[in-house]
Amino acid sequence: MFKNHVKIAFRNLFRNKSYAIINIIGLAIGIASTALIFLWVEDELTFNNYFSNKEQLFKIKDRQTYDGKTYVFDATPGPLAKSIKTDIPGIKYAARCTWGDQLLFSVKEKNIYSKGNYVDPDFLKMLHLDFLKGNANTAFSQLNSIVLTEKNATKFFGSIDVIGKSIKINNSESYIVSGVIKDLPENTSFNFEWLAPFKIFENKNSWLKEWGDNSIITYVETEPNANLADINKKIEKYITTKSEGSTVFLSLYSMNRWRLYDNFDEQGKEIDGSVKYVRLFSIIAWIILFIACINFMNLATASSEKRAKEVGVKKALGSDKKTLVVQFLSESLIMAFVAATLAIIITYAVLSPFNNLIQKHLSVAIFSPLHIVALLCITLLCGIISGSYPAFYLSSFNPVAILKGSKSNTNSGAGLIRKGLVIVQFSVSVILIICTIIIYKQIQHVKNRDIGYTKEGLLYTTLKGKLGKDFGSVKNNLLKIPEVKNACLNNSALLQSNSSSGDFEWPGKDASKSVLIGMEYVSPEYISTAGFNLKAGRDFYPDALADSTNIIINEALADLISKRDVVGTQIYRHDGGTKYTIVGVVKDFLYNSMYSKARPLMLFSDASKANYLTMRVNTNKNLKATLSKIETVIKTHNPDYYFIDEQFDKLFKTEALISTLAGVFASLAIFISCLGLFGLASYIAERRAKEISIRKVLGASVQLLTVLLTKDFLKLVIIACLIAFPLAGWFMYNWLQDYEYHIKLNAWIFVFAACLAISIAIVTVSFKAIKTAIANPIKSLRSE
Amino acid sequence: MSVINITDLEKIYRTEEVETVALNKISFEIKEGEFVAIMGPSGCGKSTLLNILGLLDDLDGGSFKFNDIEVSDFNERKRADMRKHNIGFVFQSFNLIDELTVFENVELPLIYTGIATAERKKMVDKVLDKIQIAHRRNHYPQQLSGGQQQRVAVARAVVNKPKLILADEPTGNLDSRNGNDVMQLLTDLNEQGTTIIMVTRSEHDSRYTHRVINMLDGQIVTQNIKV
Repeated sequence: MFKNHVKIAFRNLFRNKSYAIINIIGLAIGIASTALIFLWVEDELTFNNYFSNKEQLFKIKDRQTYDGKTYVFDATPGPLAKSIKTDIPGIKYAARCTWGDQLLFSVKEKNIYSKGNYVDPDFLKMLHLDFLKGNANTAFSQLNSIVLTEKNATKFFGSIDVIGKSIKINNSESYIVSGVIKDLPENTSFNFEWLAPFKIFENKNSWLKEWGDNSIITYVETEPNANLADINKKIEKYITTKSEGSTVFLSLYSMNRWRLYDNFDEQGKEIDGSVKYVRLFSIIAWIILFIACINFMNLATASSEKRAKEVGVKKALGSDKKTLVVQFLSESLIMAFVAATLAIIITYAVLSPFNNLIQKHLSVAIFSPLHIVALLCITLLCGIISGSYPAFYLSSFNPVAILKGSKSNTNSGAGLIRKGLVIVQFSVSVILIICTIIIYKQIQHVKNRDIGYTKEGLLYTTLKGKLGKDFGSVKNNLLKIPEVKNACLNNSALLQSNSSSGDFEWPGKDASKSVLIGMEYVSPEYISTAGFNLKAGRDFYPDALADSTNIIINEALADLISKRDVVGTQIYRHDGGTKYTIVGVVKDFLYNSMYSKARPLMLFSDASKANYLTMRVNTNKNLKATLSKIETVIKTHNPDYYFIDEQFDKLFKTEALISTLAGVFASLAIFISCLGLFGLASYIAERRAKEISIRKVLGASVQLLTVLLTKDFLKLVIIACLIAFPLAGWFMYNWLQDYEYHIKLNAWIFVFAACLAISIAIVTVSFKAIKTAIANPIKSLRSE
Repeated sequence: MSVINITDLEKIYRTEEVETVALNKISFEIKEGEFVAIMGPSGCGKSTLLNILGLLDDLDGGSFKFNDIEVSDFNERKRADMRKHNIGFVFQSFNLIDELTVFENVELPLIYTGIATAERKKMVDKVLDKIQIAHRRNHYPQQLSGGQQQRVAVARAVVNKPKLILADEPTGNLDSRNGNDVMQLLTDLNEQGTTIIMVTRSEHDSRYTHRVINMLDGQIVTQNIKV
């Protein structure tokens, strides 16, 4: 019996080749997209699984509330790690870690930039780093030691037998290699290429001894049986016991949440991070699969008239309904397995472009048990979903009616379901099109936003070696290049501001409310180089010392201080210290978030804390020549430089990726839907061939007939659009609320999406319709 | 005045290997008001001829004048235009559209010639009255007997008041009583001035006509004019 089923199934696939191809290609694309999405989802969900003690690993979050709004940071005070390790029971290890440093490594002739962190010895133990050479206990016993990853060691020395070798750092000090660790897999939160003792960093930065300075990351591993609630309770107000009047609260934040959450609302409550995209794309994967299944259901029931006779004969010969259901199901299952095979090939073929797109290195790993089981389940599910409805529909035919040749009127019910399914397909496609357009427009909207200065032509380099100290002469040399307009020093790269404080006061300020203010330490050329506009007062004097107690603030801060002129007002920390006089107000420019309004900011005329050298160049002239001239000036210090506008584009990486992915899957959804529509149009054209011929003989023109054949499908697509509009609108409205600066939903986007879907549907259907309409009518009339 | 005048008409079917001459240099004339039967065995080319006369098919050689206009070089659009204004068709298998009612089926040619709704209703009602099927105007074709269906088909062919009716074995699917009804209907129409060309294999039916064109192997054997 089973053999018979398989035989008939294959013969049917071959007999209806074009429909089989439509089904299989659609389903294969569906399964392949699902596979790609799930590979990505798997990678995201298994993030940090490399660490077997993941459940015990935390970083410490710091919460500060200003003006009713709670901000959550990773930054913690320097003394915290050592102190909580001794004070709070249940904490096994605690380690400080820098934010990540790019250092210039020199080994013999090689000069290579490499990223890594300064960390406490506990860090090596809590991550169970796999030492290929050396070991975690002794690696940091000497001060100037360094641990390299396997890949980095090979890059520098060509081997991993490098313990005791010396590496020159930033053309100044030397570190001795004390260990080589196995590379971490890509899907962990860490991407360091080297680790060096935190002590080195601590010795250079005295502020690390302050409890009031939240400036480094603290990682913690708890004892396996530790009571987390207890630890959290003890840690929450820990800083207030060390620094009186502090409003900084701490909490443990589990490694399980780092990747997909790590996002907080204004009450300081955790909200969804990128997990929402993981969820969203999982849903899209299922939907695309369902769209592909719909094709099979539709084409199978549409062609039911052809199969009716077979059903009638089989029933007359004694086959019961169950046998027929099994037969039709085995047909769809066979088709699903053929499609799955093709899907594996497609997945392998597009994996590398997909990896490029999502910036990952996923592999298909088809023989991993999880993947085999998942593929098998998806295939079975497709087979059953697509086969179940046609199976029950076809097997319920009345044999007497069929064999007598009377036309079955059962078709109208199936026709209705078919229409419903086409509407579902196109609704989804239109929703995806609308989302793609809106996400794209939102990104463009923000990218084209006036950020307060011209970002084109600004480039910066990080201060290495003596670049900062020699700034005077470097600047003179730079300005000798005619294309270089200006140069300055600043402590955060433009687009960002890394330091902030809530301690500042001014006359008339409500003492109960603290305001978080960004702080930038800059050389006097800062405003003129970046091209900010002064709104009131003056720029810094060229002699930085003359302005050592003066500041320039931005409009956002000025508005908070007073509605009137603020130049001359003094600002000071609540615990005393220097009183700074406002000498100028600069027009708002954006930093940190390009989606929100400018936040309050103060500029200090103090380049000693600078980390970057920023230049403005004329990009109209030969840029390449200009850059090579700049290189000769800064080469001895740091040959690397970055363009602000390129850095700006990088800020939209997530959104750009989501937009591209939405676009790709929208195209796939509409492609699969159109495959189905084409198949359905072919069937309808075939079924109505006689009617079309009669109409033609009676004088109907080709245009009229094309319209006749296309009209019914068009109606479905239009209904689909009407369903898609409110759903997409609601969905996108909510998405846009995540961004303070966002576009308004525009009716034209919806109209455009509808027109696009309708035209694609028209092209698909009319191709077949025109073919039918221009066919010679006597052919189908004669066949009677 | 002649409705149809063909000279040396040729139709050749080509496949990859063989050429089949379906119509071999046929010439004849049909005058206005005539009722002509085309007879002959299966495969003699009579249906091919009818399709060409109905402007449904191309010819491969010779001249074809319809109402004294040379139509052999007409393109698809011109032929469709000529067809819908001048020719009505009646088929052996009725060829009514199952999804449309009797009224809608008969109305169809009027829609294609662009006649206004009110006028259409009047014309359809009139012709349905004439063939005595007005009481079935809202029924679907499957709900009618074969004879009734063919009468509806004739109504549809004449509703436009065409100069020429082409009938392809109109009684082939009917019993003799219904067949006679249909032949009587055609005769009545002819007496009112419509030219009719009918392909048939029935001697009985041919007796209703003025003359019979006998065909064999793509050629005309006799053009027998009756009194």
